[in-house]
Amino acid sequence: MNEIKANLILDAKGLACPMPIVKTKKAMTTLEAGQVLEVLATDKGSTADIKAWAGSTGHQYLGTLEDGDVLKHYLRKSSGEEATERKHPNVATNDELLTKLQNNDSIVVVDVREAAEYAFDHIPNSQSIPMGELESRLNELNKEDEIYVVCRTGNRSDFAAQKLAENGFTNVINVLPGMSQWTGETKSINN
Amino acid sequence: MSKVAIIASNGGLFDAYKVFNIATAAAATDQEVAIFFTFEGLNLIHKEANQQLAMPEGKEHFAEGFANANVPAIPELVAMAQELDVKFIGCQMTMDVMGLEKESFVDGIDVGGAVTFLEFAKDAEVTLTF
Repeated sequence: MNEIKANLILDAKGLACPMPIVKTKKAMTTLEAGQVLEVLATDKGSTADIKAWAGSTGHQYLGTLEDGDVLKHYLRKSSGEEATERKHPNVATNDELLTKLQNNDSIVVVDVREAAEYAFDHIPNSQSIPMGELESRLNELNKEDEIYVVCRTGNRSDFAAQKLAENGFTNVINVLPGMSQWTGETKSINN
Repeated sequence: MSKVAIIASNGGLFDAYKVFNIATAAAATDQEVAIFFTFEGLNLIHKEANQQLAMPEGKEHFAEGFANANVPAIPELVAMAQELDVKFIGCQMTMDVMGLEKESFVDGIDVGGAVTFLEFAKDAEVTLTF
């Protein structure tokens, strides 16, 4: 079974409705914005409930893995990231990146979302380097490459693009808006 | 914050689960919840009665199912609902009729009349009766 990194794991196995939701709510309050919660549950109704719960509380439902009888739900705490101002000057639209990919141009796509977000939905052949790990993993990238940075809405990727530019990467492009409205092909841990 | 207004007017074990499951789920989903306990519904928050609520006649065999499904006991759900800030309103009129005092009920309830509940419910998006 694939492992997905989470900031906190909540064990709600063996609990019946509404306990998984009640416990999820409590666990979520202990996390910081942008962090990922993994909820282990055996209540079969929990998949629909967790999805609906995320929808009405504004948190991001990433996906669910089945591991035997155990359901592993992944949620990301809402961050209010929609409001920030973007500073990296070099940007491309989703469609422009899609065209580059379809033309097989030699580009690198770096996905700076959390590993759990990447796991359930990402551009094929994109490289996962979560924002928090970028600084320590710069050696995995080449300074000369044409690097397209994606996240969910274009804000984390803006920070990442700035960070790369500061470190001598010369051809870095922030992709807007990013995975939230990506229409091209994607891969998931579930397929 | 959207509101959920619930009237609990029946006092059996099944009724209690319907009321408290919906109430705790709603509260955990960031909704403001109030329950008006009236007539037999008062059993659900009565300190002694809610420890031993009856199953409907002929359904006693479900007791095992409840145990197997690891469903929390009613007093636990009551405590959880209160922890999630669900507001409990006991019906004054029923308490008077049945000769019950506020002290017989779990701590932290409000006692009020129909208008107390209606004041809360008037702008609730969801209103439920059990």
